[in-house]
Amino acid sequence: MIKSIMIFNNHGKPRLSKFYQQIDIATQQALIEEIFSLVSKRPDTVCNFLEGSKLLGGKDTRVIYRHYATLYFVFVVDESESELGILDLIQVFVESLDRCFENVCELDLIFHFEEVHHILTEIVQGGMVLETNMSEIVTAIGELNKMKKKSGAISAGSLSLKASETLRSSFRH
Amino acid sequence: MSMRGLTVFIADIRNCRVRELEEKRINKEMANIRSKFKEGNLNGYQKKKYVCKLLYMYILGWDIDFGHMEAVNLIASTKYSEKQIGYLAVTLLFHENSDLVRLVVNSIKKDLDDMNEIYNCLALHAIANIGGREMAETLALDVHRLLISPTSRSFVQKKAALTMLRLFRKHPDVIPATDWADRVIALMDEYDLGVALSVTTLVMAFAQTFPEEYKGCYVKALQRLKRILIDRDFSLDYIYYKVPTPWLQVKCLRLLQYYPPPEDAAVRNEINELLQVIVNNSQDTPKNVQHNNAQNAVLFEAINLAIHLDSNSQICMQAAVLLGRFISSKETNVRYLGLETMAHLAACADSLEPIKKHQETIIMSLRDKDISVRRRGLDLLYSMCDTSNSKVIISELLRYLQIADYTLREEMVLKIAILTEKFATAYSWYVDIILQLISTAGDHVGEEVWFRVVQIVTNNEDLQEYAAKTVLNYLRSPQYNETMIKVGGYILGEFGHLIANSSGCSPIEQFTAVHSKFSLCSLQTRALLLTTYVKFVNLFPEIKSQVLTVFNQYRHVLDSELQQRACEYMAISTLPTDDMLQTVCEEMPPFPERESTLVIKLNQKQGDTEDKRVWVIGGKEANLERRESMKARMSSIDSISTPTSFTAPEPRPATTTNGNSHMMSAEPDLLGLDDLSISTPNNVQLSSNDVPTPGFEPGYHKLQRAAEGVLFEDMHLQIGLKSEYHGHLGRLALYFGNKTGATLQNFTTQIDSTEALTVISPTPVANVVEARSQVQQLLNIECNEFFRESPGLRISYTSQATGPQRLFIKLPVVLTKFMEPIQSMDGNSFFQRWKQIGGAPRESQVVFKSGSQSGISIESVRNILDGYRFGLLDDVDPNPSNFVGAGVVHGGKAGKVGALLRLEPNMEQHMYRLTVRTTSEIVSEELRIILERSLTYDA
Repeated sequence: MIKSIMIFNNHGKPRLSKFYQQIDIATQQALIEEIFSLVSKRPDTVCNFLEGSKLLGGKDTRVIYRHYATLYFVFVVDESESELGILDLIQVFVESLDRCFENVCELDLIFHFEEVHHILTEIVQGGMVLETNMSEIVTAIGELNKMKKKSGAISAGSLSLKASETLRSSFRH
Repeated sequence: MSMRGLTVFIADIRNCRVRELEEKRINKEMANIRSKFKEGNLNGYQKKKYVCKLLYMYILGWDIDFGHMEAVNLIASTKYSEKQIGYLAVTLLFHENSDLVRLVVNSIKKDLDDMNEIYNCLALHAIANIGGREMAETLALDVHRLLISPTSRSFVQKKAALTMLRLFRKHPDVIPATDWADRVIALMDEYDLGVALSVTTLVMAFAQTFPEEYKGCYVKALQRLKRILIDRDFSLDYIYYKVPTPWLQVKCLRLLQYYPPPEDAAVRNEINELLQVIVNNSQDTPKNVQHNNAQNAVLFEAINLAIHLDSNSQICMQAAVLLGRFISSKETNVRYLGLETMAHLAACADSLEPIKKHQETIIMSLRDKDISVRRRGLDLLYSMCDTSNSKVIISELLRYLQIADYTLREEMVLKIAILTEKFATAYSWYVDIILQLISTAGDHVGEEVWFRVVQIVTNNEDLQEYAAKTVLNYLRSPQYNETMIKVGGYILGEFGHLIANSSGCSPIEQFTAVHSKFSLCSLQTRALLLTTYVKFVNLFPEIKSQVLTVFNQYRHVLDSELQQRACEYMAISTLPTDDMLQTVCEEMPPFPERESTLVIKLNQKQGDTEDKRVWVIGGKEANLERRESMKARMSSIDSISTPTSFTAPEPRPATTTNGNSHMMSAEPDLLGLDDLSISTPNNVQLSSNDVPTPGFEPGYHKLQRAAEGVLFEDMHLQIGLKSEYHGHLGRLALYFGNKTGATLQNFTTQIDSTEALTVISPTPVANVVEARSQVQQLLNIECNEFFRESPGLRISYTSQATGPQRLFIKLPVVLTKFMEPIQSMDGNSFFQRWKQIGGAPRESQVVFKSGSQSGISIESVRNILDGYRFGLLDDVDPNPSNFVGAGVVHGGKAGKVGALLRLEPNMEQHMYRLTVRTTSEIVSEELRIILERSLTYDA
């Protein structure tokens, strides 16, 4: 299962954290810090997998991450998940974000953090992979936004605020 | 959904350049929101806005301890945008055990029943994220309905499947998984691949717990793979970078690994065909990174399945070749996975030859620039080590240890120690390597490593002289290494006399070598060295005066442990005769332990909400056991009535101990080297007297529940007993007290020892018991199988006062002695396990009447259960006079068996209902018999 998902930037500032096992917030922060310190030291040429430290749950826990432009996307998983499968899932997540936000960048994740959560909800549920088909994910989000409009929330028009580097540029990493 | 206030707030926070400013801004906002919430009268939009702000602070890492009620209100809102934020807050902020969960259960139920499917989804998602017991109990059936209803749309179904999975993982007793087997398995055929993926994930979890009930999923998983790979029947949407739904393929391949390889040749061929397709597909040159990833994800899982099915198959040969290419790939991810999968192959394959071809490359991987790859390389080297390459691999590992990352060292030391022990062919080599290891690794050597060295040296006579010489050399080197000093101190104290005649090894030289490091050591090590010194006094009277100087000095140190040792050793050393000294410093008996503590340390347990591992790192035998148990689980369901794990205790030649016999060798030695203990079967069989001596029972029964007391007493003899048990091992001390005024002559004891329960007396009992005095006998007990018979103790002696006497009594060694209580289990996990074990035959239940005239006393029942080493779990059963208990029986070779107990006394009727559930029917029955007897007569 997926134990937790986190996004933080190159300085370790969290942009999303979602824990599928119940952990108090102090430990959550300690985990994010620890993972950031592990991951940020690693050059982009080494592999995308790390073995869990004691705090993370030991040998059977894997940290699987990808680095896009200014952001790290990190999944902490147990031994039963395929490493490459999770790597693909991160790509699906990022491409879905990119489609929903039209060329996504870090600022989108900051100012629309709740949207990011809603998108993640369509991909992972309770620590399990729910959907991997991007068009299905984007359609589902579209449905939700229609519902929101109907219920009277004001639409923001285009969500994008393109001031920082977009993630799409590093898809091929 | 624009909320201006929120955007402004986020921008504000972003402008805070230092943490203090951020904290100030956050505190201000929290105070503001708190007061707004207190005033009340907020409309939905405002509530939503403030809750969103709280969530943003939460994401930044601030603890949010209010706003929960507002989130609950938002959930009940009729506006979708508000409801959605309410649910987001609940899933992020609520804890499953929070009292507030109760407040949302009703709203969630309403949304589950709603016609609007998007509402259903929000509710499902919340359950999957929080999933407390109350939610599971109230909502499981609604979730099930959404899962199987033909009117459910696929996006609801797939969420319902994963929600169900989450509830099952957390509260398996609430989910009647076995009743739903057919319906759920049928859903695996769903055309929608999203649903198929979720349902397969769910089935995978069910199948791990109920392999028999869910065995239908095997064929379904196969069919699905066939549809994807051969019929190429899938919705085009699900092609991910040219690979059709890699996730579902991986899940199906994985599911097949949770079952033992199929017997049916046709099924095997079918699987092989599919695996071949996957291997062939992997020959495509990938178009880009994502394509490569997806393709390899499937390929690696396919190889894992191939290894699981038959590690000697043609497919595995091909796989080995592919893996050989992968481990020298330019791509780090591929190298990493190649090494990992190769470790799996090494852990299961009969022949390591295809892997050994790549030994050079694998050793090189220890020098990879990426630590993740280095770790996998280490695992692989550990798994592929055998007698032919052990020398090369161990010396490489030792060399690498000196430059290895600190985080890796402790594990490396353990692994090197295990391999050295396992593949030692010459004594000197073992000693050299292990001491070199201790010397190199310094602080990274765990206690268990040097304990093990001492055990092995003690148990192998041929090793002792060489070991003593080598440690002495290490002690003389200027290097300071505390672990080495401990090993050195211990070994010289025991075996220093073996080398005392060699040049440079004279007693005083040994003493000087040890003592030169003394002042550098920790208190604990100094205490150990004092013991070495008192042994020196015994072995080498010529250096007594030097040693006494040290004792004298340490009689006045502040540390009480050191002081006490110094005083006691001083006193023993200066007694008029050396009798006491000789007894105290007698050579240590061989260690009885069988399973290496090193291996135990290496294999730690895993958490329980997760999937099981399908293999473990290590050699073939490490995985064999796991596979056997997988098969046993399947077959034990087929043949319920035949007990599998119990071997009837076959009487072996009993351990006889009289004045001059040696101990029996009951242990296969630790190393597979020759055993040092000489077995001299004793012919002096006492004439069998198989009727126990009358009057043995009270002590026998009482001491089943107590660690010490009087076992037996008659006119002439009193037998006292002290005992301690740990895991499957126990030590007993018997005290034979002569109550008469005459000497007991020809005193002998004979104790039954069986395959199932070995009882060894390391030192024989004294032949003579003087008038009004006592002799002692120590026994080492080891439980190897689940046994039923307590060992018998036969005693014979003659005396002027009594003439020849024979006694036959039973030692109070029963199965519960090898049970460790479990005190910390909550109600959920108790009932989860209770349910998993299920009813007969693994349950043993009896209703019986209390033998007590005065009625049942709860207090004495509690004492009995406690005495039989059950951990009593309070607050699990709502009725306070019912008892719930748990423990683990350590059966040695037969493994550990968890034992659960429920005892329901009926005070009016003076009756009990006793139910014992364990995973072994033998154990269940035996525990039931023991408790039933005791509760009838002792309570």
